Formats: sequence, structure tokens, C-alpha cells
Amino acid sequence: MIAYLCAIGVIALIYCLLALGLNLQFGLTRLVNFGVVAFFAVGAYTSGLLSLQGVPLALCFVAAGVLSGLLALPIGLLSLRLRDDYLAIVTLGFSEAVRISIQQESWLTKGVQGLPGLPKLFAAWGPVSDLATFATLLALVALVSWGTVRLTRSPFGRLLKAIGDDEAALSALGKDPAWFKVQVFMLGAALAGVAGAFYAHFITFITPEQFIPLITFYVWMGLVMGGAGSVRGAVFGSLLLMVFLEGSRFAKDWVPGVSEVGMASLRLAAVGLALILVTLYRPNGLFGGKSQ
Amino acid sequence: MTWIAFANLLINGLIEGLVVALPALAMTLVMGVNRFPNAATGDFLTTGAYAAVAVQMLGGWPLWAAALASMAATAVVSAGSYTLIFRKLAGRPMVSSMLAAIGLGFLLRSLISFFAGHDQRTFDLPLVRAWNFGGVRLLPTDVAIAGIAVLCLLVVFVLIYKTSFGRQLRAVADSADLARASGIRAGGLMLSLWVLVGALSAIGGVLLGMKAIVSPEMGWESLIPAFAAMVLGGIGSPVGAVLGALLLCVAQELAVPLLGPSYKLVLSFVVLALVLLLRPAGIMGRVQLVR
Repeated sequence: MIAYLCAIGVIALIYCLLALGLNLQFGLTRLVNFGVVAFFAVGAYTSGLLSLQGVPLALCFVAAGVLSGLLALPIGLLSLRLRDDYLAIVTLGFSEAVRISIQQESWLTKGVQGLPGLPKLFAAWGPVSDLATFATLLALVALVSWGTVRLTRSPFGRLLKAIGDDEAALSALGKDPAWFKVQVFMLGAALAGVAGAFYAHFITFITPEQFIPLITFYVWMGLVMGGAGSVRGAVFGSLLLMVFLEGSRFAKDWVPGVSEVGMASLRLAAVGLALILVTLYRPNGLFGGKSQ
Repeated sequence: MTWIAFANLLINGLIEGLVVALPALAMTLVMGVNRFPNAATGDFLTTGAYAAVAVQMLGGWPLWAAALASMAATAVVSAGSYTLIFRKLAGRPMVSSMLAAIGLGFLLRSLISFFAGHDQRTFDLPLVRAWNFGGVRLLPTDVAIAGIAVLCLLVVFVLIYKTSFGRQLRAVADSADLARASGIRAGGLMLSLWVLVGALSAIGGVLLGMKAIVSPEMGWESLIPAFAAMVLGGIGSPVGAVLGALLLCVAQELAVPLLGPSYKLVLSFVVLALVLLLRPAGIMGRVQLVR
């Protein structure tokens, strides 16, 4: 039971980290990133592949963050020229392109077979290694939350918020928002990359199948449910998402006569319905006010 | 590559392009009027294909009758989703409509896989041999697919450019306020638009299913190509959507010997990104404000 709770806790914190990254991009700066999973996947594969080469895990995690952040640079630059809706589809397409490339380039990634046997974090600690992972992640999520709040209150953060609120007015004041947007995009992507590394070394087995667009929309659902733009929203939203995802696993016991596969479909349907309902009735999230 | 191989790829690309043109056109109509990329377009396609499969299984109907029934069913789904969701999100940030569209896509796809399972299905079609013109092969089914697609495109173009429905639609697309001021009632017009979009997507799904297979993921997989085709042609331009789809699919097919078939989607993405970088207004689009 403790092992199960620990596993749920780790996955929840990984979603928290992803939501915090997306909150920087969308919540603060209104950059619509529908390709969260791409940076998550690149982080997971970077760290996974390096660790299999014997690189120390700490270094693998750094590399995961750096590479995911760098991968966001071209997309960030492209985002400067695009309206929300175009950027949304471009990032979505990007994440599918990344997934297919991972699947196809089996000389590097072993393709659909995936990478089994990745080293666990704190493996030397034996039975408490998962707990240690959980604690590390918790500290990281706390740090990122604190950092984001600090950032929001700093002049830089006010600038970012101003970009999200009214970019034209900001340009009129003589500030060039372009480089800030790119920076924020890269920072959010780097966080997703680190989250990917945690995921890879917690699950210890990654395949391209795990990095489908659905993951992106889980993160979106968490953020939108909690309320985009606030750290509290991102954190609580992801926890709520976890309750929703795990809770529906148990719902199987109450819905007799539905197969495992059927239940998976129903769960996905519930995710879709929740996305619709939240955007319709709670655009500011469950913790936000009802008005816009 | 010999010219025969080239011709075969070209023909295949053109036929695929005609099929992709249908969802691209459905998307561009919504984009032009309701101003958001309808990410559920792909799943409308899937809905259409499965509705046709279901009707065929139900009573051994001929495919054309099943396709007509599926057009009606998908039109109801499409118009219903407008009434229940997108109408209420008008005036909100575009991201709201897009997120809701993605949610709707998930909902449709998972309901389909819940009731129909994940197995691939095919339409009840007679097996026919390809015509062979000295190595250039042409499947009668493909000719039928191309013919139906062209016919549907013609019907839609007549609707848009020759009827008062189309005139009103274009007026709303140009300026919703001006259109309202000149007495155009948006309500019924929007509903008709979404009925058209649903019917068009259903035919797209049936043709896609005839060309390949029917699976719950089929529509989602054609979302990025349809979007790329729309952007390539110029957002909001119906003619552009068709031209964009043809160009994109021919390019995809001709790239197959170089990249392999799996990279088709990646190529769509690259085309999409390049067009947005180099010519954001697309081939047929007017230059519009891009911030």
C-alpha cells in the first residue's frame, strides 16, 4: 500500500512539474504549448540513453533539462511570429513528429521496443529509493513553485504577465517582448525535460507509446482545472488530475461488465468531457472565480 | 526512380490529396467563420467512417447508402457540438475553443473505441484488379474515391460561391459585425455551416476508410496533414485548402522513397512550419495581421 501511494505520489509530482512548466508558458505568458509531451519525451530519452552509457544520473538529469530547453529554442523563435491557434497546432504537430522520430530511429532509441532496465534514482538505498525519489521531487516542486512566485513578483515576472495580458501595449511602451517569450518557453521546456528524466528513472522502462499527445492534455487539464496563471492552481490542479485518473481505475469495481480495454476508453472519454466542461463552465479553474 | 514509379507515386499523392482536401476544407470553413482551428475535425472523420461501417453491418446496405446515412449522423454530431459547446465559447479566447475541440475529439474517439473496439475494420467493397497501363497502375476504387471527392468539392464550392447561404457565410467571415448590421442572422447560418462541416467530414472519413482502413485513430492521424494543407493554402481560403492538400500529399508521396512511409506526418509538420515561417498567408491567402 505504501509502495502504491509512493508511486502515485511520484507520478503526481511529475505532473506537477509539467504543469508548473506549462504555467510559465501559458499561465504567465499566454504561450499556447500543445506539445508538452515532446519535451517530456526528449528529457526521458536523453537521460535514459545517457544513463545506459554509464553517465552519472545527476549529469543525465542536467542533460535532459538542457537538451529539452534547447529543443524549445526553434519552436520559441517560431512562436514569435505565430498567433495562438497556429502555435497550438504547430506544437502539437511537433510533439507527434518527435514521437514518430523516436519510434523510427531505432539505431538510437531501440524504436518501439523501448529502453528497458534504466537505473533507478537512489538505487543503492534499496527499499527506500522510491521514497527518496518522492522527497527529491517534492523538494524540486517546492523550489520551482517558490521560484515561480518570486519570478511573478519580480520586474521580470511583471513583464511576462504584461506580455500575456496585452502585448501590443507593452510594445508601445518600447519593451521588446520577443526574447522574454523565448526564454520562458525554453525554461518551461527544460522543466518538462527534467520531469521526463524523473519519469524514465522511476518507471525504468520507456517506449514511444508512453509519449502520446494525451499526456499533453492531461497536463493541460490539470492546469486549467486548477486555474492557469497561479502556482497554487497548477499544483492543486495536477493533484486533482491524479485523483481523477487513479480514482477512475477503482471505478471499474462499481461498473460491472466492462472490460479492462473498455474501461480505458471510458476513462479517456471522461478526460475529454472534463476538458469540455472545464472550458465551458470554469475557465478560471475550480479555484478561480466564475467570471473570466 | 523511373518515370513509372514516379507516375504511380504522383497518382497516389493526387488521390490522397483529394481525400485530405475534404477535412482541410471543413477546417478552413470553421476557421474562416468561427475563428478557431477545429481540432475535432479528424474525429468527425472517424465518426463518419464508423457510422458508415455500422450502417453497413446493420443491414447489408450498399456503401453509398451507408455513406449518406453517415453524413446525416455526423452532421447531427457536428451541429450538436456547435450548439452545445462552440456557440457558447464564441468571444472567449481562442484557446478555450481549441481545448474544448480537443476534449470533444477525445470524447468521440473513446466512445467509438468503447463500442466498436480497437480492431481495424474495412468497408464491404468488391475486390477489383488494378488497371495496368504499361506499369502505371490505377485502382478502380481509387478512381471512384477521386471522383466522389471531386464531386463533393464541387458541391461545396457551388454552395459557397453561388448561393445566398455562401454569400452570407462569406460576409460573416469577412466581418461578423458588418454582416449582423446588414441583417444576416447568424444563428441558422452557423447551424447550416456546421451541418455542412459534419457531412463533409463524414464523406472524408468514408473515403479515407475506402482508401486504407477504418480505425479509431484514423481521423486524429489526418488532423496534422489537414491542418498543414489548410495553412499551406491560406487560412480561410477554400480553394487554397484544396490546392494545399494536393500539393502536400503529392510532396508526401514523392518523399516516400527517400524517407519511408512513417515520416509522412513529420513531413506535414515540416511543411507546416516552413510555410508559417516563409509565407504565413499561404498560397491563396491574403496577408493578414500576424502578431
